[in-house]
Amino acid sequence: MLELKNVSKAFGDNQVLQDASLTVRDGETTVILGPSGSGKSTLLRFMNLLEFPETGSLSINDDAVTFGGRLTDAQIRSVRKHSAMVFQGYNLFPNQTVVDNVSLPPVLNGKLSKAQARERAQEVLDRVGMGDRLDEYPDNLSGGQQQRVAIARALAVDPDYLLFDEPTSALDPELAADVTRVMVDLASEGRSLVVVTHNIEFARQVAKRVIFLADGSVGFDGTPEEFFASDSERIQRYLSTYGTA
Amino acid sequence: MTELFSLWAESLPQLLLATLTVTIPLSALAFVLALIVAVIATAMRMGRVKPLQWLSRFYVWLFRGTPILVQLFIIFYGLPAIGITLSAWVSAIIAFTLNTGAYAAETLRASVQSIPRGQIEAAKTLNYTGWQTLRHVIAPQALRIALPPLGNDLIDLVKGTSLVMVITLADVFQVGRQIAATTFQPLALYMEVALIYLIIFTVLSWIQGRAEKVSNRYVRSTNA
Repeated sequence: MLELKNVSKAFGDNQVLQDASLTVRDGETTVILGPSGSGKSTLLRFMNLLEFPETGSLSINDDAVTFGGRLTDAQIRSVRKHSAMVFQGYNLFPNQTVVDNVSLPPVLNGKLSKAQARERAQEVLDRVGMGDRLDEYPDNLSGGQQQRVAIARALAVDPDYLLFDEPTSALDPELAADVTRVMVDLASEGRSLVVVTHNIEFARQVAKRVIFLADGSVGFDGTPEEFFASDSERIQRYLSTYGTA
Repeated sequence: MTELFSLWAESLPQLLLATLTVTIPLSALAFVLALIVAVIATAMRMGRVKPLQWLSRFYVWLFRGTPILVQLFIIFYGLPAIGITLSAWVSAIIAFTLNTGAYAAETLRASVQSIPRGQIEAAKTLNYTGWQTLRHVIAPQALRIALPPLGNDLIDLVKGTSLVMVITLADVFQVGRQIAATTFQPLALYMEVALIYLIIFTVLSWIQGRAEKVSNRYVRSTNA
C-alpha cells in the first residue's frame, strides 16, 4: 500500500496542495483527475520523491519518510525504489539505444546481471510492441514509440507502483492510443498503476478508483461509477470542461 | 622564386624542430592538464560546498579576466621576487594550463547546465546514484555539447603558445623570427611560420570533425 498523509506544498504564494491525504491500493489502477494547476502532477511526484512536500509523510510498503526535515540519500532511495515514473516528455536517455535505456537500470540497481537484464529488456520491449527496435536511438522514434520504450524502461526495474504523469498529453491521438493500449494491458494483469491524466475516458474505462483534486485537496475519492454520477458542482464543472475534449 | 623556395627549404628543418619540440608538446601537455583542471573546477562550482564554489569562480574570473601575456610575465618574471623561480618550460605549462583550464571550465559548466532537467529526473526515478547519473547520463551528453567549444579552446591554445618567446622559449615563431633577422626575409619566413600553424589547425579541425561525428551518432541529423 502507498499512503500519502497530510501533504502540503506551496510554490511561492501559490498553495498548490493543502493537507492532502490519499492511499493507493495494490493491484489496481488509480486515476488522479483535476483541473490544470490542481496539484495532480505534484502529488504524483511526491510518491517518487521527485518533489518534496513541506509537511506530511509518505509510506510505501515497508518504507516510510516524514517530510519537513532533511532526508538522507539512503532514505530517499529506499522509498524511491518502490515506484517508477513515466513522464509526459518520455525523458529517454538520447545517448543510449533502446535496449540500453531499458537494460541498464536494473544492472546499475544491482538487481540483474547484464545477460539477465538484456533478456528482461527484450521481454518488456516485446510487451510494449518495441521488441524489434532494440538498436535504435530514441531520436529516431516517434513520440508514441518513445513513450512505449519509457514504459518498458519503468517496467524493467520492476517497481511496485508504476506512476504515469500525463503520459499521452504530448502525443497525437493515434500515437496516444498505442500508449493507452499498453497501459490498459498492464492494468488488466493486476499491476498497480497511478495515472495523472486528462483522459476522462481512460478513467471511465480502466480506473478502479478515481481521485479528484480541486483547490489543493482531495475533493473526491471513490469508484469511477460514483465519480461520474456525482452531483457535486465542482466535479460537474470539471467534466463539462474536460469530458468533451 | 627559386630563391624563395630554397630559403623555405633551408629553414624548414629548424622550424619543424621547434614545432615538434616546443609548440606541439607544450600545447598537448597544457591541454590535457587544462582538461583535468577544468573538470575539477566544474565539479567544485557545481557541488554543494560554498567555499569551493567561490574558489572555482575566483579562479575562472582571475584567469579569464587577465591576458595570457600578463600571466606568463607574472609567473616567469614576477614570482622570483617572492622566491619562486620556475624554468621557462614550467612557467609556460602552468600559465597555459591555468588559462585554458579557466575557459574549458566555463565550457563544461555551460554544457552540464544545458542538459534538460527531465534527464536528471529520469535517472532519479530509476534510482540511480549520483555517480551513476554523472557517469551514464550527464557526462556523455555534456561531452557531446562541449566538444566543439573545447576544440576551439585547443586551437586558441596552440596559437597562443606563440607568446612563449617572451619568456625565452624557442618555439616555431621565435625560431622563424631569428631566421628572418639573419636572412632579412621577414615576409617569406613569417608566411612559412603561418603555414605551419595552418597545417596544425587543419589537422586539429579534421580530428574535431571526426570526434563530433562520433559523438553525434545518436542525434538525428537535420538534413537526413
